[in-house]
Amino acid sequence: MFEKRLYYHIDWAMLAAILALCTIGVIQIYSASGGAGRLHVTQIYGIALGLVALVICLSVDYRTLADKSHFLYLGIVALLVFVLFFGVVRGGSRRWIDLGPLNLQPSEFAKATLALVLAKFFGESRRGAIMRGDLVIAGAIAAVPLLIIARQPDLGTAVTLLPVVFAVAFVAGMPMRIFGILALVGLLGAPIAWKFALQDYQKERVQTFLDPEADARGAGYQQLQARITTGSGGLWGKGFQKGTQGQLRFLPVAHNDFIFSVLAEEHGFAGVMVTLGLYLFVILRALESARLAKDRLGAYLVVGVLASFTFQVIYNVTMAAGLAPVKGLTLPLMSYGGSSMIATLAGFGLILNVRMRRFTN
Amino acid sequence: MAVAEERRRIGTRLVTLQVAAIVVFATLGICFWVIQIIQGTKYEEMAENNHQRTLALRAPRGVLFDRNGKVLVENRNSFTISIVREHTKDLNRTVTLLAKVAGLDEKQVKQIVDRHRGEPSYRPIVVVEDASLAQVAAITARRLDFELPDVRVEEVPTRKYPADAMAAHLFGYVGEASDAQVEAGSAEQGAIIGQQGVERAYNNLLMGQDGAKRVVVNSMGREISTLEEIAPTEGRRVQLTIDGDLQKAAEDGFRHAGFNGAALMMDPRTGEVLTYVSLPSYDPNDFAAGIDRTTWASLNTDKLKPLQNRVLQGRYSPGSTFKLVVATAALEEGLVTPSYTVNCPGGATFYGRYYKCHLKGGHGVVDMRHAIEKSCNVYFYTLGNMLGVDKIHKWAERLGLAGKTGIDLPNEQESIVPSTEWKQKRTGERWYPGETISVSIGQGQVSVTPASLAEMITTIANGGTRVTPHVIKAVDEGQGWKPVPPRATADRVAFRPDTLAALHDGLWMVVNGNGTGGRARIDGRDVAGKTGTAQVISNEGKARAKGTTADLRDHGWFIFFAPRDNPEISGVIFAEHGEHGFLGAPIAKHVIETYFAKKEGKPLPQLPLLPGQAAPHEQDPDSPGVLDDSVVTVALR
Repeated sequence: MFEKRLYYHIDWAMLAAILALCTIGVIQIYSASGGAGRLHVTQIYGIALGLVALVICLSVDYRTLADKSHFLYLGIVALLVFVLFFGVVRGGSRRWIDLGPLNLQPSEFAKATLALVLAKFFGESRRGAIMRGDLVIAGAIAAVPLLIIARQPDLGTAVTLLPVVFAVAFVAGMPMRIFGILALVGLLGAPIAWKFALQDYQKERVQTFLDPEADARGAGYQQLQARITTGSGGLWGKGFQKGTQGQLRFLPVAHNDFIFSVLAEEHGFAGVMVTLGLYLFVILRALESARLAKDRLGAYLVVGVLASFTFQVIYNVTMAAGLAPVKGLTLPLMSYGGSSMIATLAGFGLILNVRMRRFTN
Repeated sequence: MAVAEERRRIGTRLVTLQVAAIVVFATLGICFWVIQIIQGTKYEEMAENNHQRTLALRAPRGVLFDRNGKVLVENRNSFTISIVREHTKDLNRTVTLLAKVAGLDEKQVKQIVDRHRGEPSYRPIVVVEDASLAQVAAITARRLDFELPDVRVEEVPTRKYPADAMAAHLFGYVGEASDAQVEAGSAEQGAIIGQQGVERAYNNLLMGQDGAKRVVVNSMGREISTLEEIAPTEGRRVQLTIDGDLQKAAEDGFRHAGFNGAALMMDPRTGEVLTYVSLPSYDPNDFAAGIDRTTWASLNTDKLKPLQNRVLQGRYSPGSTFKLVVATAALEEGLVTPSYTVNCPGGATFYGRYYKCHLKGGHGVVDMRHAIEKSCNVYFYTLGNMLGVDKIHKWAERLGLAGKTGIDLPNEQESIVPSTEWKQKRTGERWYPGETISVSIGQGQVSVTPASLAEMITTIANGGTRVTPHVIKAVDEGQGWKPVPPRATADRVAFRPDTLAALHDGLWMVVNGNGTGGRARIDGRDVAGKTGTAQVISNEGKARAKGTTADLRDHGWFIFFAPRDNPEISGVIFAEHGEHGFLGAPIAKHVIETYFAKKEGKPLPQLPLLPGQAAPHEQDPDSPGVLDDSVVTVALR
């Protein structure tokens, strides 16, 4: 199954960049937890498990995986439904399955699964351009897990499924005017959504984003603190474990959602540039893999997996700088969290899979 | 073909995505550059404000000593409980919880917080001063539970005054600087400064320099470490001229006599104040840690006016003690000699009105010495009439009775001895010579403070040399006691020898002859003095006011010095509603006895502290009741 020559076609450079980001993440988790506790150790276990998932995902030919993707899809939907009823509640939402030593978050795996299903769906369509009907079907495929996840409620993760649909559809040749129409609908729909769909706490977050200092004690606190944390880092940062904002807990969940703020504080603009550079390298390299892919399926798969990753990176980094409303979105590869790490690395397993099999039949 | 075209399309769109990614990341990079490099300093400052606090460390005020080095006022440690709103999310919750935990009235706490709402949020709002240990324990326990992270308990030095409110009006009290004081620039907001007495007069010496501590706190407001500490500098140690033993003797004297009043005694050679009494008084300790509303309200509404510093602020009619001014003026102006005699038949007529003497049958023929001894009204009516009011005023000023004594304590009232000019200015009317007659026995519009009477008798004791009374003796600037040079002698007028002899003889006879001051006689000490009575209300008014609760009994005066030759102690006893001037004499006697016992190393005399017996009914020659009601004005202000 695993031919030896494939080994030579693994994108080692991208893998190295990924591991570098994981390492930076572990270091910052260690720093943010004040050197005490075992969060960084847990994270290392997560990375190890993630690497196992990565190896598994690149071992099996992606075409085989795509063929069976509807089973994976059904499995994930079943798990999400299960979570909805039997999941572990933390922080007011039901997202996890208790597996003893670790909690599994199925929604994290929904992203890669959706990428697989959509890649298969668009890859198999023999028609030259994408019809509106295809979009409706693709939208329906994405909508099922999206709505279930939104019910948990975990709007942040649910939203990350949207880029998957749009990116795959875009690369698959969706006419630009449909994007235009969707954008228009979105624009017009926003006030309606504001009135009927958003919860009070969500409205508050948006309002806070628009004017964080007006509510510096309440909801704007985190956003303002994030900006202070990042800004006070300066050029070279305050040094490892010397950050005051993270160390003294002015920033909540510093090891998780705001890990990039802590990095920016302790290692400054220089650290930010290095890390952003690594992320950009990984993204460009993955898109390169899509271009090199042997078939449409491969290209779509890479883009699908990459879409939610990129979206999350950009959003989280913007939030870490205090430039976006605070949302429970983690920074892939760096934030603390086993499920996210395993799912992300598994996704990169798929991307590596496509690239290394570009010469096989 | 379709496949190739499709490949190309996919390729183009992927390149589009790559470009988009580069653009987005470049934008992010620029954002970080703006936030971290361009605005970095601003956020660095904000981060520092987040985790660094500067806490004030209150400096202990300087310790006050008496002239013998005995500690009078010192400091103790007390706890204050305050709220720091900087990271408070729900101030109402904090207020409610704090009130519950510390057992306070929630409404009052809210009022305090509201009053300080406009101040910067890092400045603590002091809610409880001098908290009990139970309160401190309750708060500390809650803080540990992270329930009240915005409540702070601090140990601060607080003033400790002697027991029994001793010399309260002399020391004064401290309090938070008022808004007016802050605006005037004399104090910083929240500073504890002297508000009355020595505390106020020498605030700059006593206040010291507050220190500061810069600490690192976490997001819960808990202190993690100290960055820098500037220790507070204690205020200067100040030595007062007061003698603790004499002060106690004087206060014991009043307590034993059973009336309120005032006393000021000094060393006539230097003006050093030895005792300073104003009764009733308040407990300055109540002010030390912020006075509570009810105590403040009751002090302010008390009919006996415990907050009034009677020595400097009470103005009363001097009564017969004023005759010394008339005597001095007449002798020094050369109008009469001590052997000048007047026949007192029990009254005399001036400007068509009959003025009575207090002795019905009259004193017969009296000279200056005997007129002073017997306090003969007719003799002084005659002298006053010869002098005119302006000469009386001039000599009252020379003796230190008119105007201010210049004592180094705040809020001294001016003593008033009328003159034609004064009346013209005040009422626009000219002076009628008839008014001079009542002025010559200290009635009419004469209104003086106990301090100014003390100053007058001291000048007479000194034979004309005026000294400025003062309460500060030495200051320790850090290199041991450094004496504070007394203020320059105000005025130096040497009396003619025969004036001096006549005055001193007459005053000696008041105490040691057949006068009214016999109760101050001490064998071998040659006490000289003069009594006086200040009418509170005219006889006619007395009849009208019958049945009211107001205390309308007359005030008694006793001014004295001892020994007659080369006096070492002089002063005034003011007996509020004491009815008779001679009732103040025993207090003076007790203090003088204590003074000499101390000087000679003998055991100090003790008064049996029984409630004072009601005064036996004696004929009081100072009683102004003999005056025609129409010319007697109510002297008490």
